[in-house]
Amino acid sequence: MMNQGVNAQTVAAADPNSLESRYAINASQGQAQSYLPSAPGSEAASWTVHKVEGYLSQDGVPANASYQHVQQPEPHTQNVQDGSYVAPLSSSSSTGTASAPQDYNSYTSYSNTTDPYSAYSGYYNGYQQQTNNQYSQQQPNPSYSQPVEAYQNTGAAYQPNSSFQNTGSYAGTASYSTTYYNPGNYQTSGGYPSSGYNNQPTAWNNGSYANYTSYQYPNYTSDTSSAYSSVSAPATYQQQYKQWPEYYSQTEVTCAPGTEHLSAASNSNHGSSLPTVSGGYPTPTNQIQPQSLPPPPPLPPPSLTPTWRPETSSSELPSMQPGGAASGAHDNYWNQPAPSFQTHLAAPTQPIYQNSLDSKTSYENFQELKTAPQGLNSQYPVVHQVSQNYQSTLPTVPSFDARRVSKLQIPTNPRIASNAALGIAKTEKDSYAANSAPRPAYISVSVQKPNDKMSPNNAADPMLKPTMLPKSLRGYVERAFGRYKDDDAKRAACEAYMKDIITEARADGTLYTRDWDSEPLFTVPDSLSISKANIQTPTHASIPNYNKSPVRRSKSRWEPLAEEKMLEKPVSASNEIGKYGSWDRKTFSGYSATKDNSLSSFRFSGPQQRTPSKSAQRPMKRQRIVNGTGLTNNDDDASSDSDKEQSLTAYYSGAMALANNPEEKKRRESRSKRFDRGQGHRPDINYFKPKNAGPANLYTRRASALMLSKSFDDSANQAVEDIDWDALTVKGTCQEIEKRFLRLTSAPDPSTVRPEDVLEKALLMVQNSQKNYLYKCDQLKSIRQDITVQRIRNQLTVKVYETHARLAMEVGDLAEYNQCQSQLQILYSEGIEGCLMEFAAYNLLCVILHSNNKKDLLTSMSRLTPEAKEDDAVKHALAVRAAVTSGNYVTFFRLYKSAPNLNTCLMDLYVEKMRYKAAVCMSKSYRPTVPISYIAQILGFSNAADENGETELSGLDECLEWLKAHGASLITDNTGEMQLDAKASSSTLYMPEPEDAVAHGDSSLAVNDFLARTT
Amino acid sequence: MAYLSMGESHRRITDYLNRFADAINYQDGDSLARLFSISSDTPSLLSLADALNVFQDANRLIKQSEKFSQYGEVVAPFFRSLQSYRLGNLVDAYGAFEKASNAFIQEFRNWESGWALEALYVIAYEIRVLAERADRELASNGKSPEKLKGAGSFLMKVFGVLAGKGPKRVGALYVTCQLFKIYFKLGTVHLCRSVIRSIETARIFDFEEFPTRDKVTYMYYTGRLEVLNENFPAADQKLSYALTHCSLNKEANIRMILKYLIPVKLSIGILPKKQLIENYNLVEYNNIVEALKRGDLRLLRSALQENEDQFLRSGVYLVLEKLELQVYQRLLKKIYIIQKLKDPSKAHQMKLEVIVKALKWLEIEMDLDEVLKDVYGLIKFHFSTCVHPFSRVMLCSLT
Repeated sequence: MMNQGVNAQTVAAADPNSLESRYAINASQGQAQSYLPSAPGSEAASWTVHKVEGYLSQDGVPANASYQHVQQPEPHTQNVQDGSYVAPLSSSSSTGTASAPQDYNSYTSYSNTTDPYSAYSGYYNGYQQQTNNQYSQQQPNPSYSQPVEAYQNTGAAYQPNSSFQNTGSYAGTASYSTTYYNPGNYQTSGGYPSSGYNNQPTAWNNGSYANYTSYQYPNYTSDTSSAYSSVSAPATYQQQYKQWPEYYSQTEVTCAPGTEHLSAASNSNHGSSLPTVSGGYPTPTNQIQPQSLPPPPPLPPPSLTPTWRPETSSSELPSMQPGGAASGAHDNYWNQPAPSFQTHLAAPTQPIYQNSLDSKTSYENFQELKTAPQGLNSQYPVVHQVSQNYQSTLPTVPSFDARRVSKLQIPTNPRIASNAALGIAKTEKDSYAANSAPRPAYISVSVQKPNDKMSPNNAADPMLKPTMLPKSLRGYVERAFGRYKDDDAKRAACEAYMKDIITEARADGTLYTRDWDSEPLFTVPDSLSISKANIQTPTHASIPNYNKSPVRRSKSRWEPLAEEKMLEKPVSASNEIGKYGSWDRKTFSGYSATKDNSLSSFRFSGPQQRTPSKSAQRPMKRQRIVNGTGLTNNDDDASSDSDKEQSLTAYYSGAMALANNPEEKKRRESRSKRFDRGQGHRPDINYFKPKNAGPANLYTRRASALMLSKSFDDSANQAVEDIDWDALTVKGTCQEIEKRFLRLTSAPDPSTVRPEDVLEKALLMVQNSQKNYLYKCDQLKSIRQDITVQRIRNQLTVKVYETHARLAMEVGDLAEYNQCQSQLQILYSEGIEGCLMEFAAYNLLCVILHSNNKKDLLTSMSRLTPEAKEDDAVKHALAVRAAVTSGNYVTFFRLYKSAPNLNTCLMDLYVEKMRYKAAVCMSKSYRPTVPISYIAQILGFSNAADENGETELSGLDECLEWLKAHGASLITDNTGEMQLDAKASSSTLYMPEPEDAVAHGDSSLAVNDFLARTT
Repeated sequence: MAYLSMGESHRRITDYLNRFADAINYQDGDSLARLFSISSDTPSLLSLADALNVFQDANRLIKQSEKFSQYGEVVAPFFRSLQSYRLGNLVDAYGAFEKASNAFIQEFRNWESGWALEALYVIAYEIRVLAERADRELASNGKSPEKLKGAGSFLMKVFGVLAGKGPKRVGALYVTCQLFKIYFKLGTVHLCRSVIRSIETARIFDFEEFPTRDKVTYMYYTGRLEVLNENFPAADQKLSYALTHCSLNKEANIRMILKYLIPVKLSIGILPKKQLIENYNLVEYNNIVEALKRGDLRLLRSALQENEDQFLRSGVYLVLEKLELQVYQRLLKKIYIIQKLKDPSKAHQMKLEVIVKALKWLEIEMDLDEVLKDVYGLIKFHFSTCVHPFSRVMLCSLT
């Protein structure tokens, strides 16, 4: 779905498609051909074709005419990118490339790298800056304004571009800023973009979006009046804002562009690296937009133009903490990238890419994606083309990019996720940086910690940026981690714990005031480590990973340790972090990981695609857990301390973002509660692990994780904890003894569930209650419910069920009785003591008297143990059975009178049938008459005390009534005694309809009683 | 186990593969069936299993040649199954065998004629037997036995393959019988109904066209079902059919049939010869038959008591219990005859006290009320017409 959606969006929404179609004439040929071929891996030829395609599409996307014009003249190169891009954002990418080559070196690189988007941005930039002609054409956009809708669509496609622009800025800081501005310019300047933009916001209705737009607009407009930027911005926004799912798809598209970038980069060496970065960046921006819009500005810092700062600041302010965090992440990112980037630019990134490609097995997956007919495929093909250009191996690279993109997308889903997306972008950048530049460079870059209140200006100077966390806290964190240096699992747990602590501190506002040095270190129980990780990850997964912990960085642990250590908790943050870490190391494994993630996300986004991950389809709850586990597992796969640190930082930033939210506070509280019980629940968690275990599941896990994040977003910040399995086992807090039964329609609320001791009181209350059965039944059912949700299985449970079963028997409520009986049999079989024999007898009676199932009877009889047969109750039941099967009413009614326990109650239900049989029998076999007194005696009408004359009499009357009701003909003989005329009766006896029959078959629910109950 | 050389293992595996391919190529159902009969413990399969244990990479052999690789989906899991079976890992053996069977069914579906029915029979049989053993293994490990249930649903699938028109329909009854066996074992006899319906309502195929052995088995199980439903005439008819068509050599089968047929016949008043009971070692019925002959209520009760478990398990307990009335009738008849000898004119008036006295001789305490009630049962048999409660006299219309 996502893929398709993306494509559709890009295509449909993003006029690019339409444009393409229009241009199709021009490029269509090329596209179609190039496309298909390209997928397999077209080479230079494919490139050109792609270019054409991209070109066309590009044209269509932006201002078709103007754009095309521009591009056509310039960028064959662009086309190439476009080609790769083509599927998703072909137009933009192509433009980007075109622009890049032409005027701006930085831009060009950007555009190339950035994919379509970058291409676009570059394009635009190029237009504006480089190629004024083109640009002007676009701006003229009056034509654009017309297409507004189309434009928006294109905008979606463009988004990537915007992001690219950012990246572009990365590559060349100066250029970057310019690009960045350009987007702004575009939006603002372009009456066109603005119009499109406006439309988008309205459509999306995202508050954040609105803000974002405003932010960007002002800033951007001021900065760059170029229409182009506006275009790109809107596009991104639109994409993002579009339904989230679509949003994802959009991000994917961007990703695809990213891949293209890579490919492009390979083509244009430096360009490729930059593009990827930019790609990542754009995504973040998109995501961030609500909050993180500011962050992009921070990114610029390396290149930092004065204009930028202001912008960022403005954006940040609105964005608040989250923004800060994001910015911090950016900063980090930037920091690394800045040097590295340049280096990258200088040094061709190709080798890196190739490596990464090679290392990744994801290639196959990628291919699969290609095969996918829909949007993904299209994107992929593009990628492939690019990759081809690179090398044979490169094809995989594009896929990687795409994956990255997808990752980015995933994060983007949640607003918070945007941070994650940023993180990814960062990671990518980092990785790039790492690749290009030696790690030392990396280290040298000081990580900025996103301060909540830090002004963006700080960001300007990456080196100087203060870490978000106070020094003392950093020390605290380090101490905490230091204890678990050699225990990864614990480390992970510790990390998660730290996150909580810090987020809480942030929420409390004590982050800076607390005395971290004296703060006691927490201990991480072994069991907890895992469970915590699992639990926490789900909640924060999207957010946390991105920020790198400044503390660690400052220590520059990165260099030596990074590669060897595995990620543990970061896992939760998970994929992103892991990727990040890997990137940093320069290990492509990380890279591949990212790609994988992106892939998985891809799949998620697009149901159409072959989803290898089954987990995606699983219910959300499970997914979450899976994610948690998966994350942990991932750690093993490839995680480094550095990764952890990063994740931590990411977490902090994310936490900060969340901290403001009161809901989040609540959640955290409940979460911390859960941790207390972490051990107990561990088994449950483990239960899921096996399924996910194994590298093969990597994708699925990630995908599921992504899904989770999505779901979170979708659920509009619903409490994640509620979905936790463990959370479903409630520990009741309700102290009310009395409680009405209400069938649960959702997870039970602990405040309405009674704990065990209260339930015992409640049971006593019911047992001693003088109220009617309906009340008692209601109470017992609520007790049973509370027992069930709390998973209480002990003698209390048995008692409750026995009590209820007896009560139900007394009033003949067979339905309720059967429920209790079946539960009791399970409980007994578990070895819980109870009135085993009594209920075995009941069971037997029930089968005999009511189910009339010979097979059941045989099995339940053969199941009786010799000891059981010695039990009085069971003996009685067996005797009853014999009487019933042989039709021995005499014995039956004798047994009826002597029944132990509540056997009478069950037999009661059969008495009517038995009496009727007896009456028929007597009327047939006795001649001429039968005295009523005899019948009354035989049929148990005088069941009270026989010696009591009164009861005898009343029994007689009762019998008379009964016989009359059943159509017996009665006569009075000479002595005045009532006699049954057997011969006459034998033909007239009948079974009357039960008088108390009710339509719903349960007389106990008669209206009167029902009303009585409600009052 | 003697040491097995790699070369020898290789040879055995290849030999098996060759025979497998040949059997399919020549449409030799019997040979193919032999190749599948995993639980028959034939020497050739056992040696193959040993070979497989030595030569672990049998899959490579399968894939090596085009001739074998097309059967890889069947043979590869079958090898695994055989291996596990040989090692005593029955659960795995069952799982692999089901996989192999599944693949075979897919192939079978595509074959026009029913030449491979024999092989299919073997598969259906093996899957049931393996499932039973696997369940035993699971149960002994404290796990829930579920394989037989799985085998049931798998055979249901096989039944679906066969149940249509065409030459393969002949095999449907065999699978049905295997299903019966499973259902009876699982105690889910209600599941038999759907299969029975599809067998008995199919007009396109005459029941008599099925192989005799399947017909006998089918009639046996449906007869048992009728016994459970206490539909004695139908049970009698089905079980008699099974008995008359059952090969005389299959004594065990005849005994199984008689185990149900005798109670049915008893309940409709036909007593077996003592010779029959002894020939087939059905001594548990001896006393019951004797009680019926003598009208000895006490003997009947004790016989029932004695063999209660057995009767309960086989499901005839309730049937035999109903014989009590017949014993009672026999008793009264005896009394009547005695009375008639004494005084023919008053023979039709039987005093209930006499009955009670007679019962007392049998050490059965029964008061008049109960006797009266029992008399009612006799009315059904047209033994007596009516009773006057006060005179305590029963009028017998017998003769």
